[in-house]
Amino acid sequence: MTVAFPKQAFPGRVLEVTLPAAEGGTPVIVGGQNALPLAPEGEKHNPVAVGMEVGTGSGEIPPSLAHALGGREKDPVSLARACEDEWGASFIFLSLSGCHPDNGSQTVAMGAKLARDVLAAVRCPVIVGGCGDEEIDAKLFPAVAEAAPRPVFLSYADEKNYRLVGGAALAYGHGVVSWSPIDINMAKQINLLLSDIGVPPERILIDPLTGGLGYGLEYTYSIVERIRLAGLSGDAMLARPVLCHLGDAWKAREAVDASEPSWGDPDVRGPRWEEATGWACLAAGADLLVCRHPGNAALLRGTSWR
Amino acid sequence: MADAPCLRFLPEDASAPLQAGETILAHAVRAGIPILSPCGGEGRCGKCRVTVAGDTKGGDDPGALSQEELRAGVRLACRCVPVSGKVTVTVLPGSRPARLSAYIEGRETAEDEPFVPLHLVPGKGSPLGVALDLGTSTLAGALIDLRDGTVLARASSDNPQMVFGEDLISRIVFGEESPDGFTLLRRLLRQGVDKVISGLIESSPVAGEIVEVTAAGNTVISHILYGLSPAPLRRPPHRPVLKEYPAKSGKELGIASAPSARWRIFPSIGGFVGGDIVAGILASGMHREEAVSLLFDVGTNGEVALGNREFRIACSSSAGPAFEGGEVACGMRACAGAIDSVRIDRETLAAGWTVIGGGKPAGVCGSGILDLCAELFRAGLVDRAGRFVPRAGAPFRDTGRGKAYLVARADESAAGAEIVLAAPDLKSVLRTKAALCAAADALLAAVGLYRADVERVFIAGGFGNFLDLRSALTLGLFPPFPLRKFIPLGNASLAGAIGALRNRKRWEEAAALAPATSHHDLSSDPDFMEFYQRALFIPHTDEETYRRCLSPESA
Amino acid sequence: MALTALEIYKLLPKTNCKECGLPTCLAFAMQMAAGKAGIEKCPPASSEAKERLGAASAPPLPRVTVGTGDGAVVLGDEVVLFRHEKTFHHPTAIAASVSDTLGEEALVERLRRITALSFERVGQTISVDMAAVRCDSSDPARFARVAAAALSGAGKPLLLQGPASALAAAVKEVGASRPLLCPPPEELEDGAKLAASAGLPLVARARGLDALEAALAKARAAGAKEIVADPMPEDAGRAVADSICIRTLAIAHRAREVAYPTAFDLGGGFPNPFAAACLLVPKYASLVVLDTADPAELLPILTLRQNIFTDPQRPIQVEPGIYAIGKATPSSPVLITTNFSLTYFTVRSDIEASRTPAHLLIAECDGMSVLTAWAAGKFTAESVAKILLDGGIGGQVEHRTLILPGMVARLSGRIEELSRWRVLVGPQESSALPSYLRRLPPAAFLPANG
Repeated sequence: MTVAFPKQAFPGRVLEVTLPAAEGGTPVIVGGQNALPLAPEGEKHNPVAVGMEVGTGSGEIPPSLAHALGGREKDPVSLARACEDEWGASFIFLSLSGCHPDNGSQTVAMGAKLARDVLAAVRCPVIVGGCGDEEIDAKLFPAVAEAAPRPVFLSYADEKNYRLVGGAALAYGHGVVSWSPIDINMAKQINLLLSDIGVPPERILIDPLTGGLGYGLEYTYSIVERIRLAGLSGDAMLARPVLCHLGDAWKAREAVDASEPSWGDPDVRGPRWEEATGWACLAAGADLLVCRHPGNAALLRGTSWR
Repeated sequence: MADAPCLRFLPEDASAPLQAGETILAHAVRAGIPILSPCGGEGRCGKCRVTVAGDTKGGDDPGALSQEELRAGVRLACRCVPVSGKVTVTVLPGSRPARLSAYIEGRETAEDEPFVPLHLVPGKGSPLGVALDLGTSTLAGALIDLRDGTVLARASSDNPQMVFGEDLISRIVFGEESPDGFTLLRRLLRQGVDKVISGLIESSPVAGEIVEVTAAGNTVISHILYGLSPAPLRRPPHRPVLKEYPAKSGKELGIASAPSARWRIFPSIGGFVGGDIVAGILASGMHREEAVSLLFDVGTNGEVALGNREFRIACSSSAGPAFEGGEVACGMRACAGAIDSVRIDRETLAAGWTVIGGGKPAGVCGSGILDLCAELFRAGLVDRAGRFVPRAGAPFRDTGRGKAYLVARADESAAGAEIVLAAPDLKSVLRTKAALCAAADALLAAVGLYRADVERVFIAGGFGNFLDLRSALTLGLFPPFPLRKFIPLGNASLAGAIGALRNRKRWEEAAALAPATSHHDLSSDPDFMEFYQRALFIPHTDEETYRRCLSPESA
Repeated sequence: MALTALEIYKLLPKTNCKECGLPTCLAFAMQMAAGKAGIEKCPPASSEAKERLGAASAPPLPRVTVGTGDGAVVLGDEVVLFRHEKTFHHPTAIAASVSDTLGEEALVERLRRITALSFERVGQTISVDMAAVRCDSSDPARFARVAAAALSGAGKPLLLQGPASALAAAVKEVGASRPLLCPPPEELEDGAKLAASAGLPLVARARGLDALEAALAKARAAGAKEIVADPMPEDAGRAVADSICIRTLAIAHRAREVAYPTAFDLGGGFPNPFAAACLLVPKYASLVVLDTADPAELLPILTLRQNIFTDPQRPIQVEPGIYAIGKATPSSPVLITTNFSLTYFTVRSDIEASRTPAHLLIAECDGMSVLTAWAAGKFTAESVAKILLDGGIGGQVEHRTLILPGMVARLSGRIEELSRWRVLVGPQESSALPSYLRRLPPAAFLPANG
């Protein structure tokens, strides 16, 4: 007797979404599957895409991460180029965090220019994140949407600002990352709201908010798993690719603290902390991962896993 | 004693000696002056408005009152403390409890039964019975001729406990934290009951003696009436001191208006779910049927029961009083002057309305609030998340409480002030409707049934009779059932209490069905928050099903 | 499929006799459906009901215990495929390997390092659970000696990996500690007989699921009772696929032939063991063996395990404490709310929107929202005063003024009395915080006098 894998027939299928690249670059295509992650016999589908975060703020970076970035973190454009050319990032997540008053106070015009410069420097797809300040983002997203010379994804639209972000994306042909705070219902709700204003479903990625390892990762794990199960079971609003930011892993004391010798070398521990967060997100069903450590971009790249 | 510091209340012209450090509201309670205080004196509802003349401090929070009001001497009675000398207090018209005329009708689905009275005590004149529904906000009663079961009179009154909070938890907290708090709550309840019964006697065409009383109330009210502390109900595991209340005489209960009658208090199910729901189930007849039914009691606290003749389960939802006029600034009870239905013109985006009793509106009652919110959504002025959507020409205002939609202009309203629905009001309505809807979903999930298994949906409570079901489903007040499954019951608790007076078998059924109905504690149900979050959306996160229910073919 | 409460109820006597301790038969049925009560608590149940309900509640995955006493490790005994459906009960056991070829000193050092793999996180100790002793020497006596040393040196239950003769020698030394025996595939039968006669648990190994199913049958036939299955994958991708396959067959299909806890040896040159461990912890492995004893690698793996094996039915909570929002200074306002995560996120984002740096105090309230916590007596004047006095905020700000959620305005007087802090009643709705905070006069947060 042979042991047959109990293949589960799901009525739904995750919508395939393309993040466009510049001419000569490789677009990122995610979604399209009708199976749970890591299942041995699932249909061939798109591998997990691993991108890297490029920050613009003045915030401190943990030493173990700074070593790995080799000092390039001060210049977003050259960092983005290194992410693509040297470290193999499939896409760039450009965080315009520097526009936040606590993090550099760059003007909206400077933010938009940075976005344009990074888009010119790399060929891979780019997701542009706001600075997190409601009022500034309200100006920043339309400015970025207008300045971007090619289609990007704007991150993120939430219950409060979806009209603005969705409207900017619609006006200039961009995509939208829909954000909700670790809650499957709110994840569906923001997608319904975006659909109400006419954002096409194939231009939406779901960001369920990723807690770092040891700090809420388990909630994200189950929410991503449930989003995927709901989508495969036929809930079209949730049958969409999921993006997980691993950046929160670096906020954990255990990832960066060098004062505890019994925890081992922080240069090993820091990237491992982010990597473990990534594997858990991948096991839960994430389609896109955004990491900060160059080594993890290579490690997490999904080809052999699904 | 002309110089003794005191408070003078107008227009009653009643006086009360000044107690240092106590609020105007506390003085009013002692002096028997009715003032609306739905939040229980927390300073958050802004409804206990008075004008003061004299030496006072506090009650001038800029959040609740406008600059003009402050200059005109308007204060919140619950925050304002008289300091010395003579202080004159005028209770503003909007802050006086309204008289109620609705809320006392109710029908039983199993009508036309043989008349089999409980038992007759020979007395002077006709033997009379009183059926009571002791609600959180309203006390309602019916007088029955026990010779033939005829309803002789109906009457209702506000629950005087309202001054200590519109919701039950506020009252329990008051009872626990104030010396003699529960004694005071009990005294107020007795006063209210006496008022209803004397009202019944006055309007009765037949003279006689009250020999039987059946009373249905939630667990807290039943405890207070019976002289028990409801304090244990507030904390897990929310267990009542007693679930059954052996019959006592009116004298034993301290009720002056029917001292020699035998008082039967409907047994409680558990937690806050009390005899009012037992009486409601009795009136609906769901406990006699094979078909599975849901019963919603939409009142100050929402209760939901699910079941059939084989099983029953009930819970109280944390639904707030948004549909009873509380927690919504423009809200009021369903009485003369209340807007009870709303339509929004799709061109001008202005509201049109009907007013109970005609004339200029003073506020919006439950069915009007439901209509208003549903219309705002249909007209695209509110999104699914319950946020106002800016649209050219829409009558929005920026108020101290955030963005607001203008329902009636100042010159159209009875009080000469704008009637608006502000963003926090909308949130409050959403919370209330979500809690009610989620309670039903939690009951279904707890026993493992699906919505499709439910064959009938009874709507009991004040606005059950005249609520617009389409508006209710547009907003998602109930889970999505086809419109034809809904059956309005009106005041089902009172109907059940009347039924038990008329037919001994019904009383026995009530006694048997309470212990055989399970209580489901939503606060310890890990799925409830999930259902609640799903329902905090218009109409619901599961919007596909609602759309189907509102389509013409399923109506 | 599991029965619903109503289906169980229909099998019960429906007399509401309360012998089970619950007020109604339906309440009891709901407890049974939730897996919190068994039919044995219902003496009046018919024998038919007992049979049907007893079978329905048997775990789909057998339970295997390794070791004895407090340190015993339970493998298997899970009921769901997704943790949100109920919870995962028995955390993936992590074993660190010990070779029997190590010299005296190296062995002691290795055991010390394994014992040191123990960390305190959020009030729990997380550590490596087992030592896996490998017979690399081909010398049964030496293997037995190292096993005994590992047992006393590491003080953890043992996984014994070696030929049947070595296992037999080791069982004589450490059999009483209930080690898990792991013979090579070609000696499975002898190993299984040894396990059967000594009453010990056994790992049946075979590459690929077909071979594994045959090996499990062979182990059963040889008398082994408590069995763990190891499909011997060649890489991480295969390992996760096999693990998912076995667990899905066990739980969703009740396939008894392969329904066993699983073990994966990620040592001995297994490619990318860290990745494999991180994937196997959420994806169903009962036991993984690692060669590394580097805390920089084990702390993340153990933390991941701790995360995945918490009860998901607890409401999402944030850590109670003091959260600085923006560049908070000693004169920034202090606000308080509960540790329900949605409440926290909402309040935090509204404070951020105000662009007023502030200190946000998070009170421990079992993950309830403000009003619910107040109703349940968890958010009280006493608990708030305690946070103000003992929570360390006094050292971070110079003023003594708290902004209280408007919903619980009634607590303000008592808080002022107990804590001597001044209390301002904030808005009812968090959404009004931006305008509220901007309107606040700065004088409200000047240093306290005296």
